[in-house]
Amino acid sequence: MFSTLSRALFSATRVAAVRPQQLLSSLSAGRSFSRSLWLVQGNPALRQTFLHPQRGFPAVSCGCGGLHTEGDKAFAEFLKDEIKEEKKIQKHKNLPKMSGGWELQVNGTEAKLVREISGEKVTVTFNTNNSIPPSFNEEAQEGQKAEENEPELMSTPNFVIEVTKMDTNQTLVLDCHYPEDEIAHGEEEEESDIFTIREVSFQPTGQTEWKENSYTLNTDSLDWALYDHLMDFLADRGVDNTFADELVELSTALEHHEYIKFLENLKDFVKC
Amino acid sequence: MYKNSTYCYSYRGMSLILRNAQHAVPLYRAHLRFSLDIARSCLKVKNFDLGIICVNNARIQHINRVYRGQDSVTDVLSFPFHEDLNPSLLPIPATPDEYNLGDIYLGVAFIYEQCQKTQEDYRSILTITAVHGLCHLLGHKHNNPEKWKQQMFEKETEILNEINRVTGSKLKPLSTNHY
Repeated sequence: MFSTLSRALFSATRVAAVRPQQLLSSLSAGRSFSRSLWLVQGNPALRQTFLHPQRGFPAVSCGCGGLHTEGDKAFAEFLKDEIKEEKKIQKHKNLPKMSGGWELQVNGTEAKLVREISGEKVTVTFNTNNSIPPSFNEEAQEGQKAEENEPELMSTPNFVIEVTKMDTNQTLVLDCHYPEDEIAHGEEEEESDIFTIREVSFQPTGQTEWKENSYTLNTDSLDWALYDHLMDFLADRGVDNTFADELVELSTALEHHEYIKFLENLKDFVKC
Repeated sequence: MYKNSTYCYSYRGMSLILRNAQHAVPLYRAHLRFSLDIARSCLKVKNFDLGIICVNNARIQHINRVYRGQDSVTDVLSFPFHEDLNPSLLPIPATPDEYNLGDIYLGVAFIYEQCQKTQEDYRSILTITAVHGLCHLLGHKHNNPEKWKQQMFEKETEILNEINRVTGSKLKPLSTNHY
């Protein structure tokens, strides 16, 4: 068996000796076998084809130790322009104020509006994440620019209202939504309530955990009169249509502000 | 809440859909609904759907312009489901979908402004205006003094007297000062 293997190796060597000569036909003939093989290893064209993927190593070298590619550089440049444009169209450089004496607390994308009135504390909490409903642009009219059809992005977050009676320490929690747009903007009919109450429940005061065994009233099939009383209850505490409209302004401004901050962080993360 | 109340919330019947699509002025939804439920019972139309949409001046003016050709703000616009009704007869629906009286648009901002000028109670005038609109949905008209006296004034008086009986209010028909 050993003799057979040696014979096979001898044959392979002869083949190897032949092949490099064919590939290196431009080089001078007559070089020894070992030098030919050495030249094969040093050929950069062959090295890329057989040993490395097509994109190759990063072209930008900054010495920081991180991976920075040409794509990253282009990405960072794109983000720089994008941030500039977003800041140009930013409607509110500072967050708009709510009327009615609401105190605003912001923690990233989450905001809380708090108001105390006659022994009651009312807190409205919302998060701007996933608060912009998808918009379906109609086909552009003939001769009309595409930009004119783009609706203004509005943030319409779900919001939770907590009404706490200080004397009894009971908290009524109401989960509210903005109805989905049924009709396009402009002169189209707008005949829905500006906001709706979806669920109502008593929850432990000051606790973030939702108590699952507390009865939760769903308003989908609720008696209309009871629903109207709940809406009047909220209106008396400053949560009415004016509040709902101002909340959209505030949420839209906050969302845009956070979006720009995210783009800036992304640019810093990506760039060299 | 109201004396002599025989009106029970648990009876839902067909729906009175109330929408507040404006933020110009406050709206007391429960009070308006309760009064209109009394009106619907009085007219024997509680088994019919009814839409009440409260809008601002711009919206009511737009609707007035588009549907009546009048480019002005107004207090109430009625859009009956059943057209050309005989006011002394109730609609006769052919299908379940026809258990519908139509929609009443209330120009609540205009009504509020008028009340500020005339020093009248906004909630009361809102109720009276809605009742007026409801009578229009059932075919009542006030094109001329005779028709007004025979139809609308008497019917409105009847309804408002019932509301007054239940709630203790002192409401008078909207048409009182028209002629």
